[in-house]
Amino acid sequence: MTVRTGLIGLAGAAAVLAVLVQFNAALGLPAYLIVLMVTILFWIAQATSWNLLSGFAGYFSFGQGAYVGVGAYSMAVLTGRNDVNFLISIPVGGLLGGLLALGVGAVAFRLRSLRGEIFALLTLAVPFILAAYARITHSIDGGQGTTIPLPGFPSWIADFQHLLFFLELAVAVVAVGVALAVHGSRFGRGLAAVHDAEDAAEVLGVPTFRYKMLAIVLGGAIGGMSGALYALQTGFVTVENVFGLTIPLFVIVMSVLGGRRHWLGPVIGAALIVVLEDRLAAFGLESWSSIILGALLAGLVVLAPEGLYQRLRTHPWIALTTFAVVLVGLSITGYWAEVDAILYAMLSAAVVAIVLDRFHRKPPKAAPPKAAPSKAAAPGEEAEPPEPLIPAQIAEPDGRVLVSCRDVVRDFGGVRALDKVSLEVSEGEIVGLVGPNGSGKTTLVNLLSGALAPTAGTIAIGGQQIAGMAAHRVAHTGVARTYQIPKPFASMSVRDNVAMAVMFGRRGASLAEARHRAEQHLATVHLAHLADAPPSALNLHQRQLLEMARAIAAEPLVLLLDEALAGLNPAEIDDAVAVIRRIHATGVSIILVEHLLRVLHHLATRIVVLDRGRLIAEGEPSAVLSDPAVVTAYLGRQRA
Amino acid sequence: MITVQAALAGALIGGLYALMAAGLSVTWGVLRVINLAHFGLILVGAYLTYQLVSAWGFDPLVTVVVTAPLLFVAGAALQWVYDRLNIVEFNSLLVSFGLLMIAIQVATNVWTADFRRMAARDNAYATGSVELGGGLVLPTTTLLAFTFAVLIVGGGHVVLRTTFLGRGMRAFAQDRTVAAAFGIDHRRLGLVLGGVAGASAAVAGMIFALGNSLTPATAYEWFGTVFAVVILGGVGNLLGTLLAGVGVGVLSGLVSVIWSPSTEPFALFLAIILALLLRPQGLFRRGGVA
Repeated sequence: MTVRTGLIGLAGAAAVLAVLVQFNAALGLPAYLIVLMVTILFWIAQATSWNLLSGFAGYFSFGQGAYVGVGAYSMAVLTGRNDVNFLISIPVGGLLGGLLALGVGAVAFRLRSLRGEIFALLTLAVPFILAAYARITHSIDGGQGTTIPLPGFPSWIADFQHLLFFLELAVAVVAVGVALAVHGSRFGRGLAAVHDAEDAAEVLGVPTFRYKMLAIVLGGAIGGMSGALYALQTGFVTVENVFGLTIPLFVIVMSVLGGRRHWLGPVIGAALIVVLEDRLAAFGLESWSSIILGALLAGLVVLAPEGLYQRLRTHPWIALTTFAVVLVGLSITGYWAEVDAILYAMLSAAVVAIVLDRFHRKPPKAAPPKAAPSKAAAPGEEAEPPEPLIPAQIAEPDGRVLVSCRDVVRDFGGVRALDKVSLEVSEGEIVGLVGPNGSGKTTLVNLLSGALAPTAGTIAIGGQQIAGMAAHRVAHTGVARTYQIPKPFASMSVRDNVAMAVMFGRRGASLAEARHRAEQHLATVHLAHLADAPPSALNLHQRQLLEMARAIAAEPLVLLLDEALAGLNPAEIDDAVAVIRRIHATGVSIILVEHLLRVLHHLATRIVVLDRGRLIAEGEPSAVLSDPAVVTAYLGRQRA
Repeated sequence: MITVQAALAGALIGGLYALMAAGLSVTWGVLRVINLAHFGLILVGAYLTYQLVSAWGFDPLVTVVVTAPLLFVAGAALQWVYDRLNIVEFNSLLVSFGLLMIAIQVATNVWTADFRRMAARDNAYATGSVELGGGLVLPTTTLLAFTFAVLIVGGGHVVLRTTFLGRGMRAFAQDRTVAAAFGIDHRRLGLVLGGVAGASAAVAGMIFALGNSLTPATAYEWFGTVFAVVILGGVGNLLGTLLAGVGVGVLSGLVSVIWSPSTEPFALFLAIILALLLRPQGLFRRGGVA
């Protein structure tokens, strides 16, 4: 489904709902259904707001209450205390929510250590601070709470519930529309890559900082607008109501239940949880609702962390039919009140989807033909796999300097990992970088790819200084790297992993174009037969090849291979060496970190030796490898 | 003089923060479980103390004889579940968030959301105080908090440093696979550790109930201070936890005297944020578990 059809569908659904509600009296829809829908729409907006950063990009937040609070107090202070029109208070709430998010993001995302649980704990602190501030500031709250009077509204709206419904519908449509557009865009792909493997995404050219900032600000603005409506809806705002932990619990349960990786997940989760809550209240079980939600959260994280949406979409029509049949069936028999019927219909659809998924679980979608290398080369299929990318001209080593390091120093605390290393790499070279463990090889790779900044000295790629540049911009100067331990994007197919690199590479491309070009790069590393497989189905060798495919897809001038042969058996090493030669033949210069001197001897045009952070030798392979200083560094003193 | 008094009282109350933080810090550092349900255990411990004292006339300090074994079992059971279902790190944060909500709701259903406080005649400690020279007065509750903190948190530190069990845990925190290869039974270790964390929650709950009114929502109010202590002290570092607890206590004591009590949360949360930003590995580097 494209973004466009999605948006049209969303607008259509909203229009139908609006008409149903506007003429509910004539259509015989009871008023309490409108109240229920108002609540559902509020939580759809909130869960979607949370999901933009926490679901798509994986930065879990416990601080949703902060946005609700900022929005609610915008309404309370402006409309409740100063008689400003509520239509002004809503965008003000959105603006303040966005600004708050901007502040949180600017602090949190500057620091790489603030990931995972540390980010979550930081977001936990934000509503507490705001709550303390609101409590002591008398012009905001002062500990008494604030009442918001019923606003006036035009005569074509029947009553206050109808007004609320239209406002909530508008905000929810904006929220879901934004989520839908983000999900289908380049931005959304970037967020998914951040979720799966943030470091790898950054060095492939994804502007991770900017994307995370954009996601958190969008989420904050939506949360603030919707929070302003919360104040209007409840008519009375207290610090405990908005800044407490109930709101984060609700949005997290809803998104986890529905599914966090898709825009529809929070919508499904919100609808189901609100109806469930409503029924619990009707049976007089309010005091159990937190217990049930808490247990649901704990159970879901263990049993179905991917959420309902994943299950529903494998059999969407069966689930939808179940929903409709149960709903109509129960309504016709008249045995169950309407909302009960809706709840039971939802639950049966969910159960059917889960059960079908259990018993019908297809073998992983594109069952990867395991013995495919020979198959791909079978004569009948020659036309099918795309040609490996072979450029018209094979680059001659014409001496243009691509990488130039001057007196590069890098300290970690008191440890000097690199000490005044100067190095040049020219077009067409394969430079082998060797040295004992801890000699600074990987540090050098991290500096060249921009993952770390040098403590002193300069690094230029293709004549452009990169010291202090963000890693994704370094990538665009023409550097790509692989990781010693492969870091694939786990939620994407092998093809899409490579397509990510094309999309965010130096030239950039649309998703469709990127997928097409990805095929060529997969062919170069002989992985085309696994294009549809998930990365989890690959063995170590294939993952290393995927790393290489992803790196060359960025169309680099220089490729940094960090121990790309580690852990491979002899046959796989031969295979990988052949791939490296093919990549080199396309005109890419290569810096290869490797321990296998025998391989380097044949492969490298030049060898550079590091020992304890210093460059101790460089030159033609056989000369360097027989240098006594190198032998001492590598094999110990006795052998020298 | 009033500032000295505030700083001293703050330092002693800091003992309570350290007691609350110790269990959280060790399970996070060693078992990689960020157990928000620990706050639930402290809450239940506090209410059980209240119940035993009010209904059966126990001396408040003696209640630990009942609550500590109970919460030892609860803590060990929790850890057994986390371990069986392989819930660690981020997932443990989510799962235990759900469990905490359950604990708070159960406490609300049993003891209601009203404030509960032990009657003065049952609880002699609440009103007692020790007078030092120069007009310094220290409430008994804070002295008890500090004494228990030194005994339990400091004692835990010594155990981890010196005993075979402690070495095993440290080895396990640093590299699970290698530790397992050398015959360290992580299941049993985890159960013991989870249990001890639970028992420490019982003590922390008892100390809290001595000097404060109870309401289920207080569990949320501990979050900020306790996580500040855990992170400032260094995850898994018990001596650091004790020092950080005292430091945070002094800070909030001073802030509430010098500015006003209402600015206390700001100072605390500023401390956490600065701690997270500047030294996510903790203020005190070596000497702990991890």
